[in-house]
Formats: sequence, C-alpha cells, structure tokens
Amino acid sequence: MSRMNMEISLRRRVTNIVMLSITGLFTLLTITILFCILGYLLYHGIGSLSWSFFTNLPKPTGEAGGGMANAIVGSGKILLIATVLGVPVGFLAGVYLSEYSGRTFAFVVRYVTDLLNGVPSIVIGIFAYAMVVKPMHRFSTLAGGIALGIMMIPIAVRTTEEFLRAVPNSLREASLALGATKATTIFTVVAPAAIQGLVSGMMLNLARVAGETAPLLFTALGNMFWSRGWSQPSASLPVMIYQYAISPYEDYHQQAWAAGFVLLALVLSINVTARLVISGRGATARR
Amino acid sequence: MAIQPPHVEDTSAMPAGGINAPQTSVIPKLRTRDLNFYYGSFQALHNIGIDIASRKITAFIGPSGCGKSTFLRTMNRMNETVRGTRYDGQILLDGEDIRKMDVTGVRRRVGMVFQKSNPFPKTIFENVAYGLRINGAKKATIAETVQRSLERAALWTEIKDKLHKPASALSGGQQQRLCIARALAVEPEVLLLDEPCSALDPVATLKIEELLFQIKETTTIVIVTHNMQQAARLADHTGFFLMGKLIEFNDTRAIFQNPKKKETEDYVTGRFG
Repeated sequence: MSRMNMEISLRRRVTNIVMLSITGLFTLLTITILFCILGYLLYHGIGSLSWSFFTNLPKPTGEAGGGMANAIVGSGKILLIATVLGVPVGFLAGVYLSEYSGRTFAFVVRYVTDLLNGVPSIVIGIFAYAMVVKPMHRFSTLAGGIALGIMMIPIAVRTTEEFLRAVPNSLREASLALGATKATTIFTVVAPAAIQGLVSGMMLNLARVAGETAPLLFTALGNMFWSRGWSQPSASLPVMIYQYAISPYEDYHQQAWAAGFVLLALVLSINVTARLVISGRGATARR
Repeated sequence: MAIQPPHVEDTSAMPAGGINAPQTSVIPKLRTRDLNFYYGSFQALHNIGIDIASRKITAFIGPSGCGKSTFLRTMNRMNETVRGTRYDGQILLDGEDIRKMDVTGVRRRVGMVFQKSNPFPKTIFENVAYGLRINGAKKATIAETVQRSLERAALWTEIKDKLHKPASALSGGQQQRLCIARALAVEPEVLLLDEPCSALDPVATLKIEELLFQIKETTTIVIVTHNMQQAARLADHTGFFLMGKLIEFNDTRAIFQNPKKKETEDYVTGRFG
C-alpha cells in the first residue's frame, strides 16, 4: 500500500471513530433525558405516592392524606370522550383518503390535516371554548373531551390512511372478485388486515393527548371535588399538576410531583402496550 | 421485436365466433364483440371477438404484455377497479351484456383466481366461508359448503384438521388451491385463472391441473398461462394473443399442430422474437 493510501485510510478511520462517538453520545443523551425525567419525578413524587393518592380527594393544604382520585377519573372521562369523537372521525376520513379519493384531493386533505396537526393546542382549546363552553354557559368534561378529540383527529386520519395503504391490493381484488362490494371489502378484509396497526396507532394517539394541559384550561377547567356530571367542570391530571405546581404550598408541590409521575407512567404504559401490539402484528405477517 | 404487428381482419365483419372460432356446437358461455381496452391513452386490446365454450377449458397464451391478462380481467370487470382504464365493445355472459348487470353479480358468477395466491389473513375456514357470508348464505349451510369446496379443490384431506389455523401457515401450492376453493365456494359459472401456477413447483402445478379437469364438468374455465405445455395439456381451446390482438383462436390441437397464422407457429414452436 502506498504512503498516500495509508494516510487516506488512517484519516477515514479517525473520521469514522469521531462520527461514531459524536452520534453515539447524542443518542445516549436523548435516552438519558427520559430516564432523568422519570427518576426526578419518582424521587420527588414517591413521598406523596400512596394508596390514598389514588383513592382520596384533594385536601386543604396542611391536611395529610390528600389524593387526586377525582383528577384520575376526570382524565379518564375526558380521554374517553376524546376517543369516542376523534377515533371514528379520523378513522372514517382515513378510510376515505386511502380507499376512495383521487390523488389530488387526497393530497389536499393530507396537507390540511397536517396543518390541523400543527395548530397549537391552546388554540384548539380556544376553539372548543367558543364552540362548546360559550353556548353551554359552563366549563365541562364534555368540552375538555371535545378539545382533545379534535387534537386526535389529524393523527387518526394519517395513521388509518397509512396502515390501510399498506394492505396489499391483492386482498382487495380477492374480495371484490368474490362479488363483495367496495364497502364490504374495506370493512371485512382491508381494515381487519390492518387492525393491529390501527389499534396501536390510536393508542399512541391517545397517549399523545393524555398529557395535554392547555386545551383543558378553559374547557374542563378543573375541580377540587368529584365532577357532578359530564356537563360540569372536571379535574384532570395535567391541569391538577399545573395548579398544584404554581401554588405556594410545599405539600401541594409534592402532590404535583406524584401526579406528574402517575401521568407519565400512564402515558408510557399506553405507549409500550401499543408497541407490543405492533410487534405482534409483525410476527403474524411473517408467519 | 423483429415481427411486424400482425394484420387481422375486422372481427365485426366476421360471422359469430370471431377469428377461427373452434368448430364446436356448444353454446358459448361468454362472448366478446369488438372489445377495445385502454390504459389511459394506451390501447391494450384491439377488437377482440371470441366465443368461449361452456364447460370447457379455454387457454390464452402469448408473450408478456400481450394483453391476455388484461383480457381475462375484463370478463369479470376487474379492470374497472384500476384508475384510468376504459373499454368499449361488448362482453356477453349467457347473451347478456355484463356492463348492464350489477358488478357484484357479475363477479359472483364469474370467479377469479390470481397469479399470486392471495388468501385473506384469516383462518382457512374463514377464507372459504368469506364469499358465502358476504353473499348472505345461511349459517347452517356454510360449514357444509366450505367442506365441499375444499374437497373440490383437492385440499380437504390435507387440511381438515387445521381448518381454524391461519391460511398463511399453508404452503404456496396449498394457498393457491385454497384460493381456488374460495372461488368455488360461491359456485361461479365461470372461473378465470390468471397464471395460477406461475409461482408453483411441478407437483403443485400438476395437482391444480388435475383439479381443473374435474371442475370443468360443472364450470367454464378460462386460464391465462405462460406455459405452453400447460395450455396443450389442459385446454380444449387455445387463443394466441400478440400485442393486444387475438391472432388465432382454435382447438388446442390445431393451435399447436397446425397453426394457421405464421405468428402463432413462430410462438408455439419457440421461434418467436
């Protein structure tokens, strides 16, 4: 090997090592951030994290044993409404894009969907305030759910479209060739073939909005007690964290840490479940 | 390609039966008249006129891209699912224009098996039952029909113990026979097969050919094949396509032993191209 070649080869090896180190370092940093957040929340929240946190209502500051049962149930109710609204709307629009629409129209709708996805969550909150809270003259679980439901729509549309498009056309043809209508084909062959992808996509979507605070501030508002119904203000974990964190009381701060940990654990477990569902799909597809 | 586009007489001027129609007295199940087919501005089929005999096996041979698959897919209106396609002319099923019939009805009567086996990601049983369910078959009769269809497709003895296993667990040849069983379950009058054996080994191919011989007793079969030996083994009548035109259509023996057109002779003797 000539001297020049050796120099080039050395330079290449050094460049390679440097690049590997830099990219590796930043990858490590990315992972570390998540574990730092988790660890920090656990460290600060663990003191207030007890059974009563999940079963009791909030107590005035200074009193021991307060919990956030109302916020946990409230978040659950809000997310239920969001799912009932966002998933069907997004799914059906996604079906239309994947199975029925022409290329140009699909392109336009996809673009608009991306724009909707980019609308700041606080603006979605204002929209839900104007559309639901104002006419009803009160803050409510329903308004919070609608705000989060709207936030779910764009991702639901895109997820549905992508997973349906991934279904091979040969399956559609097989069904049509047996005398099935297009609608029957979509709902009995195409969607079931994509079901695991769809379910996991919707779960990730739900996990994404579960931590949203801004859209709930002036829709579901907040509540220190049990919500008295779907059309009444409701507590939710993110808003509770916000209110407790900006309060001047140390024991409220502790509770906010605990709530933060519970919320993060909830989101992470939805995420992990969704990933498991996806990998399960991969296994059946390979068989 | 060295050869020129062949000259074919205007089929509309010919007596019913089109070009060199096989000399049979059987009533045609399917017939086309002046069929032209277009992908956008490209004309893929030119003036196809043909009579397909009832309860016989009709094979179409020809080089890749000659239009034989396109032609097959016009007969159950499958091409209509492809954007940018159109056609004119007539396709008659038992004398009735299929364009005037309900499309799902046409496809129920004219079944199709595809080149690549495409079982649904469901169980073996559900694959065969699918066509029955969507066509509103009575629950009680479904299991029976599924068994009968699998028997006709010569698959029953191999899989009767794993009916509720996923279809993807079957071998390639079994999957293709499953697709045939699935098509047979709705009891089509015509079965179209688009190169059904092109991905299969000789043993699996032989099994499918044997079962086509049996199905023929009740069903009109139209098969597109790349494999001339297969056409010679299977078919009662054979048509030769070249560049979107039906060059010659006749009894299989005549096509292979005494072709009337030079293009046909060049192709079947391997001197083509």
